[in-house]
Amino acid sequence: MSAPQPQRSTVPILLYDGGCATCRRIAGWVERSAARGPGAPGIVQRPVGNDPAALRQLNPGLDIWDAYAVSHVIMPDGSMKLGGEAVAEVLRCLPRTRRLASLLDLSLFGVRPFQVTLNLAYAVLDDVRPLFGCESCGRPKPWVRPFERLTGWVKAWAGTAPRVQAAPHFRHLAGRDTLRR
Amino acid sequence: MCHQAGPGLDRSPPAMGCGNALGDTVLMETAMTTKTAHDTIQTLNGQSFAQLVLGGPGPIAVEFMSYGCGYCRAIEPILQQVARLIEADETVFRVNIEVEPDLAAQYRIGGTPTFVTFLDGRELSRVEGPDPSEAAVMQAVTGPFTS
Repeated sequence: MSAPQPQRSTVPILLYDGGCATCRRIAGWVERSAARGPGAPGIVQRPVGNDPAALRQLNPGLDIWDAYAVSHVIMPDGSMKLGGEAVAEVLRCLPRTRRLASLLDLSLFGVRPFQVTLNLAYAVLDDVRPLFGCESCGRPKPWVRPFERLTGWVKAWAGTAPRVQAAPHFRHLAGRDTLRR
Repeated sequence: MCHQAGPGLDRSPPAMGCGNALGDTVLMETAMTTKTAHDTIQTLNGQSFAQLVLGGPGPIAVEFMSYGCGYCRAIEPILQQVARLIEADETVFRVNIEVEPDLAAQYRIGGTPTFVTFLDGRELSRVEGPDPSEAAVMQAVTGPFTS
């Protein structure tokens, strides 16, 4: 049996977590911003969903667990951009941010300082997401855990502390906006 | 939701980020992770759940999970390893609660990951959010059958 041929899009595809309210807002902003330019949108977005086989149609190396964990942009040639590189690609595709994104390509002695900064910012923001109440992020990285305790104290002091979580490796369903995407 | 692997069954994707740790065959590498060749855990829908879990013989463990859950992601490579270790004695399945909310409601799943063990179609025990360690996952999956 031959392997299924990957689906190709003529524009980059931004994958986002359809169960995450923040991610949906960002995807909505990208969609509106892309529609402002002349002609067809320069980028499309689609939720990661729950079908591993459908994702592998976009790129045989695309793993659904990875797709939820890190921002992915699938390029028309089938290659993937991840994390800060994916953010940069989104910025390149939007009419309003295209010029800003050109800064990311500036190279000094073989290093792209703005892109490196963006990658670093993405990595830090990704690590600290659990501090902002991200339900799907899992356990914070070890370096973030002291801050988690700190924000816990602040929330407790402000009276907005969430209920005590008995199992630290458990994602409660209560409070989620939707179960079925 | 499209499940193309067969009627009621879906071989989900290879576990990621764990290939070298588990000694699996590494198929490909991306900038972020390594990917492995095998997934020993079948994903069930309502129909196959009734057939293979409620109607299935022998010890069975079911992980209620979702792909968007970071804890499930952390536990996935360990669960794959445990499932391979015990496959001669026990079968491990998974149910994606995003796809099967009715099953999740029926079994009063309060979050993910939740491990429920069954024997002859009867629920024996459940463990919510075990540590992502082999010992904890092994206990969650085999505990009621070994004690």
